[in-house]
Amino acid sequence: MTDAVDRKAVDRGAVEAFLYREARLLDDHRFEDWLALFADDGLYWIPAQPGQTDRFGAASIVHEDRTVLRMRVRRLSHPRAWSLTPQPRSSHLLGNIDVAPAAGGEIEAVASLQVAIYRDGDRTRYDGRQTVRLRPNGGDFEIALKRIDLIDCDGTLGVLPVPI
Amino acid sequence: MALATDNSSLPPAVGAAEIAALVEPTRVHRRAYTDRAVFDLEMERIFGRAWIFVAHASQIPHPNDLIRTRLGLHDVLVTRDPEGPVHVVLNRCTHRGTTLCSVERANAASLVCPYHAWTFGLDGTLRSVPHRKSMPASFDMADPGLNLFRAPRVADYRGFIFASLAEDGPAVEDFLGDMTDVLDNFIDRAPNGEVTQEGGAFRLEYRGNWKLHHENANDTMHPGFVHESSVNAAREDGRDYAEPAYDEHQAHVQMLSNGFSVREWQSLGLQGLANGHSYMDGFYTQGILSPDRDDPISRSYRDALEAAHGRKAAAGILAMDRFNNLVWPNLNINAQYQQIRVVQPVAPDRTVVQAMCFRLGGAPEGMFHRAVRFLTNLSSPASMIFADDAEIFEKVQAGLSDGRREWLDQSRGIDETVGNGRIASAGTSELPIRGQYRAWLDHMTAAP
Repeated sequence: MTDAVDRKAVDRGAVEAFLYREARLLDDHRFEDWLALFADDGLYWIPAQPGQTDRFGAASIVHEDRTVLRMRVRRLSHPRAWSLTPQPRSSHLLGNIDVAPAAGGEIEAVASLQVAIYRDGDRTRYDGRQTVRLRPNGGDFEIALKRIDLIDCDGTLGVLPVPI
Repeated sequence: MALATDNSSLPPAVGAAEIAALVEPTRVHRRAYTDRAVFDLEMERIFGRAWIFVAHASQIPHPNDLIRTRLGLHDVLVTRDPEGPVHVVLNRCTHRGTTLCSVERANAASLVCPYHAWTFGLDGTLRSVPHRKSMPASFDMADPGLNLFRAPRVADYRGFIFASLAEDGPAVEDFLGDMTDVLDNFIDRAPNGEVTQEGGAFRLEYRGNWKLHHENANDTMHPGFVHESSVNAAREDGRDYAEPAYDEHQAHVQMLSNGFSVREWQSLGLQGLANGHSYMDGFYTQGILSPDRDDPISRSYRDALEAAHGRKAAAGILAMDRFNNLVWPNLNINAQYQQIRVVQPVAPDRTVVQAMCFRLGGAPEGMFHRAVRFLTNLSSPASMIFADDAEIFEKVQAGLSDGRREWLDQSRGIDETVGNGRIASAGTSELPIRGQYRAWLDHMTAAP
């Protein structure tokens, strides 16, 4: 638990700016730069069950450390990645951002997330909550965890072609 | 993307001769994928008669457990009646038609309709209606027509539960044929002989015909083209074991394995069995998923299996490397990696694939974690592999909506060996597709 004093100690503006930059990199297809935001032990996680706590004993929509995420990013630029052709366009919208200090000197930013993805005549909406753990790193931040809890994470889904 | 479904080209009732004309030895007519009347007949003659996988016993382990799933287009409940066997009943009240159960799983002694509280037993029998005295004398609680519709045949093959909507037909063992080998192997891989469905499940929807998933499963010519991007991403990444990787580079191996040369694919054997079943031989040949892996988790697992069965029998169990075991028309099994996929038709141009993994009882926790990783890597909506398959299914379906070219070719590797009720061929043959259509024709042209 944190109190109001703790929250004031966090530079909320800097955290928000980082989150917006991260979302913008995805929307601008700058995936290599996006990957570089992750810490060496950073994790990108989209659970497949509401409130999922187990990353290893339950399947996830995405559960990738940098070694796997690096392959995902590499694939995004391949000319014959069929589910990425034509290239999807995305639009991220973050709201209701709550910023609080977390254990280990990290900062936790929780936000409502809406992502629209357009590809080949179809537009799909992804809605949910984004939880990002940020680690201060030389005047900036790096991502220790990016978790997205989709409201329909355990529903019937079509292909999710790009990182959101 | 075009999603046109051609409903007009055949009359509502499709005759056997018309159906038979859709399939030739080396080609199939596009209407098998696009025509609503053909699809409706598939639901009646195939999903309405054949043995359809509906659940694993571990999904309903306790008395009064039930899960909700689909049997063809039917919304059904698979129930463990404490008084009797497992039942498969239609999830629809016989009063006003209301959907009874809206959750995926539950434990309940009875099924109570949310509309007027008509109450049914787990075997579908009507037990009570409210304000009974307002019903006329003609209302007979014992009228079987007031019970929930129940699948006349349900069979449990060692925990794999199948249902058939036909009163009569072959026993499930006869339907499975030699596919029982892979179900046995699935279970034998558990040191204590018990497998349980755990780790969640995915339901992925694609806008294409249900048969496209099966035709792709044992088509070994497609990975080099469809999965080039993920193969390439894995190849370019090298195999940097110095880096921490919690999935032990399993994603890497799974993506890389689609990068066989045509010669390597050709060296895999393909087997086509009666009733449309098929499988391919060994697939993952190196790294963490290869049969002879020797990391600490695999060693500890092998030790447990040897303690249970003896060294020789354990080696025999682990040697079975049949991949993509298609139990036509709706189940695909990978025993080595504790995975199944269940294919559920929705419409001629719409299909849901349910993917699940299992825990091997008595095996180290790490083995289960690998099964979970396998499921995430291969069958998630965000899978770098399956996403490209699903995309291709949609491209095929979109193309087939145009009738200017009417036939799909399925002649590759037609020189197959027939014997012992099996058809065998080199790995690049389209024999699994031809075998599926033989079974399809048998069902579709059978007597009404």
